[in-house]
Amino acid sequence: MTTVTRESPAAPIAKRILPPPVTGQELVLVGVIVVLWVLLGIFTPSFLSPSSIQPLLVSVAPIALIGVGMTFIIITAGIDVSVGGAIALCAVVTAKLLVNFDVPLIVAVAVSMLLGVVLGLINGTLIAYGRVHAIIITFGTANIFQFFALRVFGSSTVNGIPSTLDVFGRGEAGRTLGVPHSFAITLVIVVLAWWYLRNTAGGRHLFAIGGNANAARLAGVRVQPRVVLAYAVTGALVGLGACFFIASGTSTLDQGVGAGRELAVIAAVVIGGTSILGGRGSVIGTLLGAILVQTVNSGVTQLGWPSQLANLFVGIFIIIAVGTDLLRERTRRSRA
Amino acid sequence: MLIRKKLLVFGALALTAALATTGCTSRDSGGGSDGGGGGGGDDQISVAFVPKLQGIPYFEAMNAGGKAAAEELGIEWLYQGPTTADAAAQADIVRSFIQQGVDALIVAPNDPDSMAPLLQEAADAGIKVATSDTDAPNSVREVFVNQASVDGIGEGLTDALLEAMGGSGKYAIVSCGETAANLNAWIDVQKAYTAEKYPDAEIVDTVYAGEDQAAATSMATDLMNAHPDLTGLVGECTSSAPGVAQAVSDAGKVGTVFTVGLGTPQSMKPYLEDGSSSASILWDVEALGYLTAWVGLQLAEGTELEATNNVSDDLPEVTYDADSKVLLLGPPLKITTENVDDFDY
Repeated sequence: MTTVTRESPAAPIAKRILPPPVTGQELVLVGVIVVLWVLLGIFTPSFLSPSSIQPLLVSVAPIALIGVGMTFIIITAGIDVSVGGAIALCAVVTAKLLVNFDVPLIVAVAVSMLLGVVLGLINGTLIAYGRVHAIIITFGTANIFQFFALRVFGSSTVNGIPSTLDVFGRGEAGRTLGVPHSFAITLVIVVLAWWYLRNTAGGRHLFAIGGNANAARLAGVRVQPRVVLAYAVTGALVGLGACFFIASGTSTLDQGVGAGRELAVIAAVVIGGTSILGGRGSVIGTLLGAILVQTVNSGVTQLGWPSQLANLFVGIFIIIAVGTDLLRERTRRSRA
Repeated sequence: MLIRKKLLVFGALALTAALATTGCTSRDSGGGSDGGGGGGGDDQISVAFVPKLQGIPYFEAMNAGGKAAAEELGIEWLYQGPTTADAAAQADIVRSFIQQGVDALIVAPNDPDSMAPLLQEAADAGIKVATSDTDAPNSVREVFVNQASVDGIGEGLTDALLEAMGGSGKYAIVSCGETAANLNAWIDVQKAYTAEKYPDAEIVDTVYAGEDQAAATSMATDLMNAHPDLTGLVGECTSSAPGVAQAVSDAGKVGTVFTVGLGTPQSMKPYLEDGSSSASILWDVEALGYLTAWVGLQLAEGTELEATNNVSDDLPEVTYDADSKVLLLGPPLKITTENVDDFDY
């Protein structure tokens, strides 16, 4: 295949290939979040105070962080429902290391991320080379990861976790100049991922795979290694996210850790405008989606409304996001 | 070629899943026969206990108490439960114990209504049946071993919190499952008792975090922001009790906002020590297991329960209400820095 296309000169193509830095959906999300924050600022005593926003951002961090990896995966038209189980396994192994061996911060994070990568590689390899749909594979591995996590727990909670991971936590140790470390790290990773997806060939290949894997293969994209990479990256972020979860939890880790988080992460990704059909999506949207969901959760509590309303609102946001995505896809197809 | 590949992966998956499941079950039955000791001895009285689920610290502590009782009383203690809190899986285990023809069968039912016909089946087979931890009131069970009365827990929580708060102020409750009957019953008592005994105190909100520590912690943080004059928080279950304490400690409000909760001793220890939790209200779970095994023996031997029973040195006065057929473990236990080290769970 030659790279030169007929008629059009190279420069304008290069310009057109790069998508706009922010999409319409992201601007809408920013608008919704701003409106909600202003309203909550008016109707609650202290929603906009640091003592409320800082813990909110700490809660957002692990969901948005793992959401970056999940965005990669969903862009390739895959999905990973095993992150809940993977979080549980990474978290319990890390917590046990901290309790039994009092390992330093760097070792805890490294082990957790490495374990996450291994789990991600298992998922990615089975999906890329087994060619079974990702939801089946990861549904299977979710149960298997959970099984191993429960074995490590061994019928007991992990008690007395030392304060090593407090640098990622909600407390004073978790902030510098008022900014929670976990959120700052997440922000850096979101920006890096945004740049990678938009400006590198590897990033664009992920979109190509999600748009049409066969076409991508024929165009010379090495589909399988790319897919494996997407799951491995997610695994690494799950490992780091598990450390964030330990830090923002209590000094006891129980079997409930990670439960349902896969759905929270997927919700953030979908609300952020990433198409569940693959081929389209953005990590900035995912970050905004995670912020929106946590704003709803905190807002409902701070307004004194019944807790179950948070589920209702998040559900509505998901339906709206998926609905607009499907409508957009339909118009695009009918035009083409 | 492609199809064969797919089949291969499916096969591998199924195999792994099967391995995982059998790994689980073999451990369970291992635990069961482990607790059994002799295993189906004819002269020894066998008491089987089916918890809501196996493998969580709470029921493992009950199992430990039951085993201890079995050794002291010379009975066979069988312990097996489902790996998820699933009524159908639990029913299968109950059926297998009926098949084995144990002398006494005691259940902590996940679904009291669907358990009732099974208990009838067991009774028809000549097995003595009872419930423990959670009752099945509309069944043929001969005794319910109650860990603590609803009033005891609700009042114990309220008294412990208001003692720390100085008898007045605003507080909020972080509960767990919205439909958990026992938690809701305790909350009703807390509301009524607070209004009656502490007129200067007020419950400003009750929120539900599920069995999720992180959610409980973040909701407690939100509650403190929503009510800047809040001085108390209650964590209504074992995941939210440390959660509310962690939130207070993270917000730097130790000594301003006080918390109590239903937390297991070891999980509450750091918070009791740093003052973010004033007390944990629970019952002695191992003693509950001990009492459960003891009741199984009494039923199997046909011994009538007295109004007050001397069960052991630790349980000298266990009261029995013949009308409701409820055996009450005793008043709830208040866990503070003083006694937290007495418990290893």
